[in-house]
Amino acid sequence: MKIAVCIKQVVTREWQLRVNDSKTWIRDQDASFELNEPDAYALEEALRLKEKHSGEVVVCSAGPARASSVLREALARGADRAIHVEADALASADAFAVADALAAALRDEKFDLVLTGLQSDDQGFGQVGVVLAEKLGMPHATIIMEVKAEEGGLRVKRELEGGWFQWMTLPLPALLTIQSGINQLRYATLKGIMAAKKKEIRKVTPSAAASPAQKMLAIHFPEKGKKTQMLPGSPAEAAKALVQKLREDARVIQ
Amino acid sequence: MNGPPADRETLEVDVLIVGGGPAGMSAALRLAQLQKEKGGEQLSIAVLEKSREPGAHMLSGAVLDPSALKDLIPDFKEKGAPLASEVHHDHIYFLTKNSKFPFPITPPPLRNHGNYIISVNRFVKWMAGLVEAEGIDLFSGFPASELLYDGARVVGVRTRDQGIDKHGAKKSTFEPGVDIRANVTILCDGVRGNLTKALVRRLALDEGRLPQIYALGIKELWEVPKDRIAAGTVIHTMGYPLRMEEFGGCFLYAMPDGLVSVGLVSGLDYRDPMFDPHIAFQHAKQHPLMESMLRGGQMVRYGAKALPEGGWHTIPRVYADGVLIAGDAGGFLNSMRLKGLHLAMRTGMLAAETAFDATRANDTSSAQLRKYEDRINNSDVRRELYSVRNVHQSFSYGLLPGLMYSGLSLVTGGWWVRDPMPVKAGYEHMAKLADYYGDNRPDVDVAVRPAKIDRKLTFDKLTNVHFSGTRHAEDQPSHLIVHDTDICRTRCREEYGNPCTRFCPANVYEMVDAGDGTKKLQINASNCVHCKTCDIMDPYQVIDWVPPEGGGGPQYEGM
Ligand SMILES: Cc1cc2nc3c(=O)[nH]c(=O)nc-3n(C[C@H](O)[C@H](O)[C@H](O)COP(=O)(O)OP(=O)(O)OC[C@H]3O[C@@H](n4cnc5c(N)ncnc54)[C@H](O)[C@@H]3O)c2cc1C
Ligand code: SF4
Repeated sequence: MKIAVCIKQVVTREWQLRVNDSKTWIRDQDASFELNEPDAYALEEALRLKEKHSGEVVVCSAGPARASSVLREALARGADRAIHVEADALASADAFAVADALAAALRDEKFDLVLTGLQSDDQGFGQVGVVLAEKLGMPHATIIMEVKAEEGGLRVKRELEGGWFQWMTLPLPALLTIQSGINQLRYATLKGIMAAKKKEIRKVTPSAAASPAQKMLAIHFPEKGKKTQMLPGSPAEAAKALVQKLREDARVIQ
Repeated sequence: MNGPPADRETLEVDVLIVGGGPAGMSAALRLAQLQKEKGGEQLSIAVLEKSREPGAHMLSGAVLDPSALKDLIPDFKEKGAPLASEVHHDHIYFLTKNSKFPFPITPPPLRNHGNYIISVNRFVKWMAGLVEAEGIDLFSGFPASELLYDGARVVGVRTRDQGIDKHGAKKSTFEPGVDIRANVTILCDGVRGNLTKALVRRLALDEGRLPQIYALGIKELWEVPKDRIAAGTVIHTMGYPLRMEEFGGCFLYAMPDGLVSVGLVSGLDYRDPMFDPHIAFQHAKQHPLMESMLRGGQMVRYGAKALPEGGWHTIPRVYADGVLIAGDAGGFLNSMRLKGLHLAMRTGMLAAETAFDATRANDTSSAQLRKYEDRINNSDVRRELYSVRNVHQSFSYGLLPGLMYSGLSLVTGGWWVRDPMPVKAGYEHMAKLADYYGDNRPDVDVAVRPAKIDRKLTFDKLTNVHFSGTRHAEDQPSHLIVHDTDICRTRCREEYGNPCTRFCPANVYEMVDAGDGTKKLQINASNCVHCKTCDIMDPYQVIDWVPPEGGGGPQYEGM
């Protein structure tokens, strides 16, 4: 199976975010970065499929020069080669432009399966995989929790709301967006890092940067607000009202 | 102990460097240079670093004395060394609670002209790029957990096993550590390095030396209005918030674009068991001198790290069969100048030269590696450290004697009536509550000298830890091993009032209700910023810091 995994470099979760001067994106000049979490699971799933069914795993990232470090990390974990669609503008591009850049890099290679993470930890649109499938002319399925290769296609498990799951089948080629926690991530190894040095990272410049379909107007921190509500009545009544609020308003219990 | 299970891999290299700080990176670069200069069969070199990416565990002031850099990388400017600013203004103040008294002259060794203010995180990242460009294997995210021996000879290290859950069981992703075997292992594992500590004990390398004395540096990176302080300004203070009995002082270094490093270094040989270095740092920032510079700014990073301050007489034997020790791991730091970077780089280079010759000569015995000591003795390292050899020790007699001595030592070349000065290990200085407070025993769960926390200028430890970027995989055994937690509940609570809850700058140690009216120790290991203070300062010496799973720890971007 020839598998492509699209991965993104995002700001680490522990980074204390700040908004940039134009207030349209985070200040990322001095941030530290890491591999987007769901993408790490997508890569792991691809490596497991390859181990079972043989084939090739190619990682692809559309991002600025610094993104090459996540590609190297993916190679160290076992990907066979990498494609880097390099452009500074891709650091905060919208889903449409990113999917376009990825599609151009992947199209000619005729992959059987394309995996992406469910969403990126920064913008969180959850759209790149879906738009990419459309551009590559492949069927897709999202929020995948399990993948089984079957005669002629795939059987996959999707996560629905409220603890429900759905099984469905797709023909190949196909694209899946992978949910975090689908598998157990392997650790990088010294041998893997040494082997990665000899693997190829092919640089591609996006031909004509696709014009974005969206424009970021402004970002801001959630406003902090404290609301205190007193629940009147006897302890029993108040407790009942509290449970109802937790279930229906806060939705923290079922 | 060293018997490998069947699935443990082995890697063989000529020279292994443990720790990718200034010492380790300099050693790697120097080896690559010697290789090019002298030709011959290509040496295989590897560097092991515990942080997720190079430089991530680097925290320093930092004012860099560029002497070693100039020798190691003469074209450092062309190569784009990230030197934030040259030092232009140099001030030393003695602080009282509300006032400042400038020192009339800056004594020559403390002058910083020609030095650079840097972010050591950026600097080490830059060095890492040069190291990788030489084709050297730089493994970040791989802590070395133990040394491998053949009798008394060091033959390499074992990296930490990955994928063990918090109960000690192997997870499905378990990845056994790798045995890296090397002709020479250069330990650059920094202050209180876990491997150096084990080696020094096992081979008694500190025999006849004074015990090391440490200090804890707590630092924040701030962004203040751009025109507030001229880039290149260096300020050091003594006195408040520390008292006469405590050693240390503050630093404030201004970089371009309103970026400011501010920190407090406090000696880990204080007497008062209730002393809390983090609170002292909050007091420091509230001093008018500091407050006037930070006001209206924003704290953007936080971190802490210990420094070895004992100086020349505390440096252990830094060579043995198959192994060399460089940088802070060996105690090469000039506490009077608050500078260790250039000495780390220099000793890393000298260790590399020794390791190179030894490997070429096919003799990596202690007798051959002893040449490292000769190289050190003939270098600026000794010239610099020997002249200030009794400085911190003299401060263990208090601030005034310390100051007098530091002043005198500039005249006498470091000579003292009793040379070396006798000194106890830092933790032995801590007094018991009863001895320090007599009948006025304080409530040990409440700060004796609290600081007002406003989350603008001053912060509580937990908020601060969020700004250190610290992260550890949650499901792993605690990497802080307290060999006897019973002591915490009983003796320590009574005698010292659990000082770990105060000296740890990351709120790792907490005494929580045990449910029976007593308190028990809770270890929040995932907060740990790897400063090593607990391993150093615990009065019963029952805490061992061991490396956590690879990549865990702080993320000191820009520090
Ligand atoms: C607050 C503060 C301010 C300072 N200010 C200055 C200053 O202004 N000027 C100056 O010259 N010096 C200053 N110093 C001192 C200077 O930072 C140190 O002397 C210097 O960093 C020592 O370099 P090193 O390479 O020996 O050790 P470190 O810089 O500590 O590097 C050790 C490296 O080894 C890694 N490591 C440790 N154990 C393991 C293991 N088991 N496996 C793998 N990796 C491991 C660590 O993660 C780290 O990256 C300051 C120090 C502090 C704390
Ligand atoms: S647990 Fe120890 S090493 Fe970790 S931050 Fe606290 S004092 Fe430092």
